[in-house]
Amino acid sequence: MNALAEVEQGIDELLSRPPYGCEPRQHHDAVLEALKQELAYACDRNSKFRNYVEHWPVPFRSAQQISDLPYLAVRVFKANPPLSLVHGSEVKRTLMSSATTGQEPSRVVLDSPTARRMTKGVITIIRDFIGSARRPYLVVDTLESTKSQTEMGARSAAIQALGSFATETVCCLEHGPDAKATLNVEKLLACADRWSHADVLVYGFTYVIWTELVQPLKRLGITLDLPNVRVLHSGGWKRLQERAVTHNVFNQGVADVFGCSIERVLDYYGMVENVGVVYPDCEYGSKHVPAFADVIVRDPLTLRPVAEGQRGLIQVCSTLPTSFPGFLLLTEDLAEVIGHDGCPCGRRGTSFRFVGRAPKTEVRGCGNLESTRHRLQMVQA
Amino acid sequence: MRQSGVDSPSAPNGAGMREALLTNEVIQTVEAPDDLTSASQRLHELVVESELTTETMLQVFDRWANALADRELSNIPGVTFLRLWLRRGNLEPILRRELGDGSLNRQWSVGGSTGVRAFPLGVVGHWPASNVEIQPVLSLTCALLGGNCCMVRVPTRLVEITQMLMERLSIADDSGAVTERVYLASFDHSRKDLQEAMSRNVDGAMIWGGAEAVSGIRSLPFPHWARLLVLGPRVSAAVMDAGTWGNRDTRRSWCQRIARDVWQFDQQACSSPQTLFLERGEGCDAADFVEDLKHAFEEENRHHPRQAIEPGMASAICTTRALWLLADENNRASFPATPDWTLLLGSGSKMPDPTQGRTLTVLVVNDLMEAVSQFDGTLQTLGLGISDGRKEAMLAEAAARRGVDRIVKLGRMHVFSSPWDGADLIRSMTRMVRYVPSAEQAKV
Repeated sequence: MNALAEVEQGIDELLSRPPYGCEPRQHHDAVLEALKQELAYACDRNSKFRNYVEHWPVPFRSAQQISDLPYLAVRVFKANPPLSLVHGSEVKRTLMSSATTGQEPSRVVLDSPTARRMTKGVITIIRDFIGSARRPYLVVDTLESTKSQTEMGARSAAIQALGSFATETVCCLEHGPDAKATLNVEKLLACADRWSHADVLVYGFTYVIWTELVQPLKRLGITLDLPNVRVLHSGGWKRLQERAVTHNVFNQGVADVFGCSIERVLDYYGMVENVGVVYPDCEYGSKHVPAFADVIVRDPLTLRPVAEGQRGLIQVCSTLPTSFPGFLLLTEDLAEVIGHDGCPCGRRGTSFRFVGRAPKTEVRGCGNLESTRHRLQMVQA
Repeated sequence: MRQSGVDSPSAPNGAGMREALLTNEVIQTVEAPDDLTSASQRLHELVVESELTTETMLQVFDRWANALADRELSNIPGVTFLRLWLRRGNLEPILRRELGDGSLNRQWSVGGSTGVRAFPLGVVGHWPASNVEIQPVLSLTCALLGGNCCMVRVPTRLVEITQMLMERLSIADDSGAVTERVYLASFDHSRKDLQEAMSRNVDGAMIWGGAEAVSGIRSLPFPHWARLLVLGPRVSAAVMDAGTWGNRDTRRSWCQRIARDVWQFDQQACSSPQTLFLERGEGCDAADFVEDLKHAFEEENRHHPRQAIEPGMASAICTTRALWLLADENNRASFPATPDWTLLLGSGSKMPDPTQGRTLTVLVVNDLMEAVSQFDGTLQTLGLGISDGRKEAMLAEAAARRGVDRIVKLGRMHVFSSPWDGADLIRSMTRMVRYVPSAEQAKV
C-alpha cells in the first residue's frame, strides 16, 4: 500500500466513527497518529513545507501530543498560488475565503478525494445536530451561489455542503436590476405555505440572513409559520457587531420571523482552510470536536494549550485534507476552553466557546511596514 | 521676567499639579475642549511670566533619574535609558551643542556685536506613539529643556505607566517648579474636537507615531506660527563585516549586544534592529553565527522574559516563521515553541518588512554596500559591527546619503540622544533670538 493510500485509509476510519462518541484519550491518540502520517506524506510532496516542518522545535515523529505537532498560521493560505500537495491537474476546485474589502482571500485547493471527505465531514457533523432525514432546503442566498465553480467562495461551499440534506432547494434571494440581492417575498411565502408542517433546513451567512431576510420581513410585518425549521448560519459576526446586533438579538429576530423557538437557530464556526469541519453550538452553548479533528486553544504568551476556563488563540486540526497542508492551523480567532469532556449535551471530548477575532496588531509608532504583504509576495515568488 | 528655581515657591497651579501627582490624578481625563483651552492659557502665562533656570531643570532631572531606580519600574521598557537621558552628564553636552555654551546660564552668546539666545516657543503639544512606554516623558523633557511648557496627550495604553513615571518626578521636584509646567491629558484619539482644541492651543508640537497617526495630527488646525517636529515611522537595521562576525573570539559579545538591541522596547522602537546584514566571508559560516545569536537570545530572554503579548502579535510571529520557511527551501530559522524570539536566516540585500516581536532577519550579502544601496528614507538607525575603520567610514557616509539618521555601534542603537531622526530635539522647540545691542547698550 502506498503512503497516500495508507493515509486515506486512516482518515476514512476516523470518518466512519460516531463523531462525538470517542473517549478523549482514544480520540487524541487516533488523531495524533493520523496527523503524523499526513505530515510525513505532506513533507514528501512539498519540499518547502518539509523545510518548515524540519525547523519545528519538536520533531513531529516523536511528538506525544497533538499540541506538539508543527502548525501553520492560517494566514499562509493567503498566498497565491496557494500551498498545495497535488499537481495542478489534480485540483478539482479552489475554495476562497470571504475576505473583507482590500484583503487577500485565503485559497485552498481540493482534489476529488479531499472534496469528497469535506462533504462527508460536514454531513457527519450536521447530522448529529439536526438528524439525517432529508427535508426542504431554503437557501438565504441567490441561485448563482449554489452553482459549482472551479473557484468557489466560502458561502457557496457552505451552501453546497448542506445540499445532501435537501429534498428540494429554494433560493429566496434574487439579483435585482441593480445587481443587488433582494428577497423574493412571494417565493418565500409560497414555500412557507407548502412547508408549514414539514421539517425545513435553512442556511445563510449570518449577516445575509439578518440584512436580507429578517429585517425586510420585520419591516413588512411578516411571520413565516415554520415552527419545525432549523436555521443554520455561519460566516462571522463582524458586520453585525458593527450594527450592534448581539447573538441574542439575532436569534430572537430569526425566531420571530420563522415563528420558531430560538433553540432552532444554530450558529456554527468554520473556515475554508479547515475543510470539512464545522463547529455548531450544542444546546448548552458549547462547540464540540468531532472524531476526525481536534481543537487546541493556545495562550498567546507561551503558545501552550490553556487550561479549562481560559482563553487563547484557536488552533484547528483536521485529518481530512490531503491536497493541501491544512492539518494544523493556528487561526486569528479567540476561544475559551469549556472542558475536555463531560458536556451535559452528551457529546464527548473537548468543548469550547468562540470569543471573537483577535484584534490585529495595531499599525502604529515605529515599525510596521505592511509586513504581511511583503512576505506573501515572497511566497508567491 | 521672574525666574523660579527649586527654592522658589511654586505657583498655586504647580502645587495643585503636585498634589494631583500625589493623589493619583497626574493625568487629567479631558471631556471638553474648554479644559484644554484653559490649561493652555495657564501654561502660556507661566512660560511668559516665569523662566525656569537650566540649572534648576538639570537638578530636578538628575533627582528624577535617581527616583526612577525603583524596582516597581524596572519592567517598564526603556526606563534604564530614561534614567541615562535625564542625567546632567548626558544633558549638559546636548544643551551646549544645540543651544550654545550660554544656554546653561541663559546668557546671550555673543559673536561680534550680535547676541543669540534660545527662547521657548511657548506651549508645546506632544502626541507620543502608544507603543513606546517612555515616549510621553522623553518628549516632554525635550521641550522643557527649551524652556517651554508642555501639554501632552497620553495614549490610553500608556496612562498607567506615564502616571508611575511622573509620580517619581513629583518626588524629585519638591518645589513643583517643573511639574507645574506640564499638563498631561487623556482622551480618546477619535475625539476630533479635543484633538483640534489641543492643536489650536500650542505654539509647537512634537508628533511621534505611525504614518496614519502622524498624517492625521499634522492636518489638525495648528496656529500658523506653530512649529511641528514630526518623528514618523522608521525602522532600523544592522550590518556586520566578516572580520567581526567571523571572529569566534569576540562574536559572542557582539551577539549579546544585538540581543540587547532587539529586546529593548520589545523591538517596537524606531531604533530597534529588524534586519542584520552579514558580509559573506571566507571560512565564515552564517549558520554558526546564528547559533551563537540563538544562545544570546535565549540568555536575554531568561533575563527579560516577556510579560504579555497581544494575540495579534503572537499570530504575526507564527505567520512570519512559516512564510519565511515556505518561501525558499534554502531559508533557515531558529525559534522556540513559544513566541519569545525568532531568528530567520537567508540571503539577499533587500530588507524584509518587519514583524517586530523579537523577530530578527539575518541576511548574508556579498558586500555590505549592496545592502546599504537599498536603504531609503524609512531607515532610521544603522547598527555597526565593523572591524575595518575605513570601511566603516565609507558605510556611514553611504548610509547617511541614503536617509539613515543615526549610525552607531551595535549595542547602542537605543541610546537616546540628540539629534534624533536628523533633528535637534531641544533646539527644534525654541526660537533663536538675535539681539544686536544699540551703541549705548554696547558701551554698557
